[in-house]
Amino acid sequence: MQPIIQIEHITKVYEMGTEEVHALRDVSLTINPNEYVAIMGPSGSGKSTLMNMLGCLDTPTSGIYNFKGLDVNDMDDNDLAEIRNKEIGFVFQTFNLLPRASSLRNVELPLIYAGESTSKRKERAIQVLTNVGLHDRMHHKPNELSGGQRQRVAIARALITNPAIILADEPTGNLDSKTGIEIMKLLDDLHQKGNTIILVTHEEDIARHAHRIVRLKDGLVEVDEVNPNPTVY
Amino acid sequence: MKISEIVESVRFSLQSLRANKTRSSLTSLGVVIGIGFVVLMGWSLNGLEQAWEKTISIVGADMMYVDKWDWAGNKKWNTIRSRKDISFEQVKLFSETNTYAELTIPLLRSWGKRIGYNANSIGGIAVMGTESSYGQTSAGNIEQGRFFTEFEEERTANVIVLGSGVASSLFPNADALGKSVKVGKFSFQVIGILEKRGFLFMDFIDNQVFVPLKTFVNYFGSSRRSYSIAVKAFSVAGMDQLREESRGYMRNVRGLTANEDDDFSINESKAFDDNIKDIRLYIWSIGLGLTFLSFIVGIIGIMNIMFVSVAERTKEIGIRRALGAKKSSIITQFLVEASLLCFIGAIVALIGCSIIIFIGKVLIVKFYPDLSFISGYLPPSLLLIASSVSLFVGVLAGLVPAIRAANLDPVESLRFE
Repeated sequence: MQPIIQIEHITKVYEMGTEEVHALRDVSLTINPNEYVAIMGPSGSGKSTLMNMLGCLDTPTSGIYNFKGLDVNDMDDNDLAEIRNKEIGFVFQTFNLLPRASSLRNVELPLIYAGESTSKRKERAIQVLTNVGLHDRMHHKPNELSGGQRQRVAIARALITNPAIILADEPTGNLDSKTGIEIMKLLDDLHQKGNTIILVTHEEDIARHAHRIVRLKDGLVEVDEVNPNPTVY
Repeated sequence: MKISEIVESVRFSLQSLRANKTRSSLTSLGVVIGIGFVVLMGWSLNGLEQAWEKTISIVGADMMYVDKWDWAGNKKWNTIRSRKDISFEQVKLFSETNTYAELTIPLLRSWGKRIGYNANSIGGIAVMGTESSYGQTSAGNIEQGRFFTEFEEERTANVIVLGSGVASSLFPNADALGKSVKVGKFSFQVIGILEKRGFLFMDFIDNQVFVPLKTFVNYFGSSRRSYSIAVKAFSVAGMDQLREESRGYMRNVRGLTANEDDDFSINESKAFDDNIKDIRLYIWSIGLGLTFLSFIVGIIGIMNIMFVSVAERTKEIGIRRALGAKKSSIITQFLVEASLLCFIGAIVALIGCSIIIFIGKVLIVKFYPDLSFISGYLPPSLLLIASSVSLFVGVLAGLVPAIRAANLDPVESLRFE
C-alpha cells in the first residue's frame, strides 16, 4: 500500500533577523491511508510548522516530502495550490469561515477553485452539509451559527473535495467541552468511514481519540506510538 | 482561468462592495467625475461638429469663390489690399474659358447697408448683386418664395431675396413675401427668403440680401468694387481639379507671368476647417487634460482603497489559499473588485450625464432654437468607450494591490487576526 505522506529528515529553518530558528530539526514520518494520527507537543515544539508542511502551505528547508508518491519539493505554487485543493481538507481552531458568505457558499468554495459547475457544487455542498447534520442551516451566515455548528461547516468544507487527508489543527480549541466532544465524535465517524485524519493538538484527551500518537519536542519526533485504547464516546 | 471563478469573483466583490457602501461610493467618485468629463466633452464636441457640418454644407462643399480677398486670412493684409480689383470683363473671360465648372456666377457686394420696412430698420447688412443662376447653388436655396429670374435681371427689376436672418429681424411676426423694403433710398419687392445657413459663429451669413446684378450696378455702382466669382463644381469629387484649372484660367485672365504670384484667392468652405480644427483641438486638450487628471486622482483613490481592502482581508486571502486558490485566482478577485468599483462609477456617471444632457437639450431648444439639432442623448459609442475606459482604469488601479495580495504568505495570512 502506498503511503499518503512520506517525509524523511525534513528540517525547517526560519530566519528571524540575524538569528536562525530551527523549527524542525529532523523529522521523518509516514502516514498510510485511513490512519488516525495525533501530532502532539507543547508550544514551540514545531507542531504548527509540521502541520503547515504536511498541508502544503509551506515547504521544508531540506529533506524529502512525498505526497502520494509525488515530490512536493519539486512543485511550484500552482501545484501546491492544487494539492491543497484536491487532497487536503483543513479544519482550523478558529474555523476560518468567510464571514459574509452563507454555510452553503463557504462549503462550496473549494469546488469553485476546482472549477466545478454551479449545479454540481451546490448538490455536493448540500450533501456534505447534510452529512454533518446542518441541512437546516445552509443559508445561515457564520455569525448566525453556534461555535459547534461553525466547526461542522468547516468540516463539511474540508470533506467536499473527498480529500486524501483531513488535517485538523486544534479542532476543539475554541469550543466548550460538550461541543468539543460532538466534534470529536464527528471526526471519529469520518475515520470509521475510511478517511485519513491528522489531528494536531496539545490536549492529551483529544489526542487519545487517535490510533497513533506522534509527540514532538524541540523540532524532533520524541515518541511515535500506537494508541492501544483510543477513546470512543 | 476558469469562467466560474470570475463569476464567483464578481459575486464576492459585490458582497464586499455592499458591505462597505460609503467607502465604495466615495472611492468611485473620482471615476464618476472622470467619466463625466469624457462624456460631456464628447457630447459637446459632437454638437459642435454637427453645427459645423451644417454650416459647411450650406456654404456648399461643391462651391469655391475666386476673389480678390482671402477667407483664411493667413496672407498679408497689405499684399491683398494692393491686388487689382477683378473686373466684370475678367469674370466674363474666366466664365467663357472654364469648362470644368458647372456654373460661374459673378457677385458684387456692398457691406454695411441699412435695410428698412415701415418704421423698422436694421443695419450691418451685406447687399449682394448676382445673377439668377445663384439660385441653383446650395447657397441660394430658397425657404419661401423664389429666386429672381433672368428676365427680372435683364429688365433690372427692383426685386430682392432676403437672407433668413434679415427676414426674421425685419418681419418677426409677419409674412415678408410681397412686401416692399428699402435699401438705402431704393425700394425693392421681397420675392424670396433663403434657407437658414449659418450656425453659431457663422450666422453673419444670414444677414445678406440678394438683388439682380444689373440692378445692383445701377443703384450702388461698380467702380472701385471687385467682383467675386462663385464657381460650382459638377461634383464634390471634381473640386481638386476645378481648383487647379480655375487657378490656371484666372492667371491667364489676370495676365500673370510665370514667376508672378497669384493676385487673387480661391476660397472654399475648407478654409474654415483650419479654424474649427484649432477650436476642436483646444477643447479636446483641455478636456483630455481634465479627464486625465481626474482619472489619476481616481486611480490613486481606488488603489489606496484596494490596499486597505487587501490588508483587511489578509485572513480571507489565507483561507482561500489554504482551500486551493492559486495566485491567479486571488489576483482575479481583486482586479474584478477594482474594475467593478470603476464600472459602477461609470454607470452612475453615464446616468448623471444623460440627465444633464437631457436638461441641456431642453434648455437649448428653449433659448437657442438654432441649435436644437444637437442630440439630447448620449451617443452609443461614448457608452462603449466610457465603460471600457472604466474597466481599464479598474485593472490599472487594482493591479498592484492584487499582486501584493497574491504574494502574501498563506501561513502568515492564516495567522492574521
